[in-house]
Amino acid sequence: MSYRIPIGPYHLALEEPYKIELDCQGERVTGATLKVGFNFRGIEWLAERKNITKAIALMERVCGICSNVHSMTFCMALEQIGGVEVPPRAQYVRVVMAELERLHSHLLWAGIAAELIGFQTLFMQLFHLRECVMDALESISGNRVNYSMNRIGGVNRDIDHPEAVRKAVSKVRDAVSRTLIPLFTTDQTVAARCRGVGKFSRAEAIAYGAVGPVARASGLDTDMRRDHPYLAYNALDFAVPTRPEGDVLARIVVRALEILESCRMIDQALKRIPAGPLHAGDIYTVPPGEAVARIEGPRGEVFYYVRSDGSDTPTRVKVRTPSFANIPTVTAMVRGSDLADVPLIQGALDPCYSCTDR
Amino acid sequence: MSAAEIREQMGGNWEERSDGWWLPLPPEQIRAAAGSMLAGGARFVALVVSPDSQGVFGMSWHWDLKGTLLSVTTTLAAGKPAPSIVDIYIGADWAERETRDYYAVPFEGRLSTPPLMLREEDAPGMMLSPEAGRP
Repeated sequence: MSYRIPIGPYHLALEEPYKIELDCQGERVTGATLKVGFNFRGIEWLAERKNITKAIALMERVCGICSNVHSMTFCMALEQIGGVEVPPRAQYVRVVMAELERLHSHLLWAGIAAELIGFQTLFMQLFHLRECVMDALESISGNRVNYSMNRIGGVNRDIDHPEAVRKAVSKVRDAVSRTLIPLFTTDQTVAARCRGVGKFSRAEAIAYGAVGPVARASGLDTDMRRDHPYLAYNALDFAVPTRPEGDVLARIVVRALEILESCRMIDQALKRIPAGPLHAGDIYTVPPGEAVARIEGPRGEVFYYVRSDGSDTPTRVKVRTPSFANIPTVTAMVRGSDLADVPLIQGALDPCYSCTDR
Repeated sequence: MSAAEIREQMGGNWEERSDGWWLPLPPEQIRAAAGSMLAGGARFVALVVSPDSQGVFGMSWHWDLKGTLLSVTTTLAAGKPAPSIVDIYIGADWAERETRDYYAVPFEGRLSTPPLMLREEDAPGMMLSPEAGRP
């Protein structure tokens, strides 16, 4: 018997509103339709009506988890237009912030994944670790969510307590190496629940434009930090974990391994951070021009297009978030899957509806 | 295939910029460009519309291949249809629907372009409507 199940926009498992309609044949999903826009705030429209200083603060509100990368990418686009040189120390501070934010995002996601799989204890452990990362972010920026670190040409604050950051990173690395990775890579229950579920091929990843861990778990070896290095990533030694399987387990493993790589990067950045200024002075306008800036956010490539007419207000700001690229892939992933696997498949995307809708 | 090979295969006057490679094309060549990108293994990244003060839309389709940005641009008068590439890159579906929401650009070559961020009853072109008409 075929039937359609509408789920959402309010979900029991997901904290954000969106709607998925599943076409089913018995217990088998034959197709899916997505509806987004419930969080639509018109941020691009707003950004084109605010001066650059205010727009930087606005862009930090695109996402509640990876807020820093949005203000950073926006600033990087403006810096390209203006030919503004970011001082080396500021580049390292941005790297540390970006990688701490990745730890925060991945740990939050891993905790939710653990809960979806049925590991309540692991969920609590992971959220405890996430708190340590948020403490480190607070020690640098003074804030836990919207950090207000970025400005055109640099950063607003220095890393005054590197030892607090090192301590948090060390704790995360130890716990993830000892608990999370062995569990996600060898545990029979996790494997039984996740292996072969939500399959998504490399060719599909290209056609859908998937990014970040979702793409890398389908064998698409892409990472802006390595492929198109920005800030101080060129000076850091790190690996880009990929898996060929394209299933939920692969997405879990890629993110777990990325946590360790971020820890490595933060350690290196804190060791190598040079002395010097934090920014290039007060900049309130950039000359006429346009630029694209792309960085590797926790969920994948963040794309900003900015156009300036030389005034203090941008004439066009286009934001393509990683979740905007990744969420449509769920229609391919759930096709042919068991109905009971749909929440796990959705969760394994690490979707953010707030930044999708903007 | 590398980004350089795609550029060579497509021909045209590619411009190298600090953010990547840009190629202006007439609208009727956009679909062929998308086909070349797919054949070369490039990932679709974004579709950007940037209107000027004369009511002309600058449109740019962006792809990535191993970290290199490949951007194809065209210009379109307001109300004129743009070529859809959804049958080539399904990932362009949301980008085209959002473009319809924001700038009321119709897309040729797809059955329908339903709203993405707006509701069914909302008029397309929210970025173009007068300030006074906004909530």
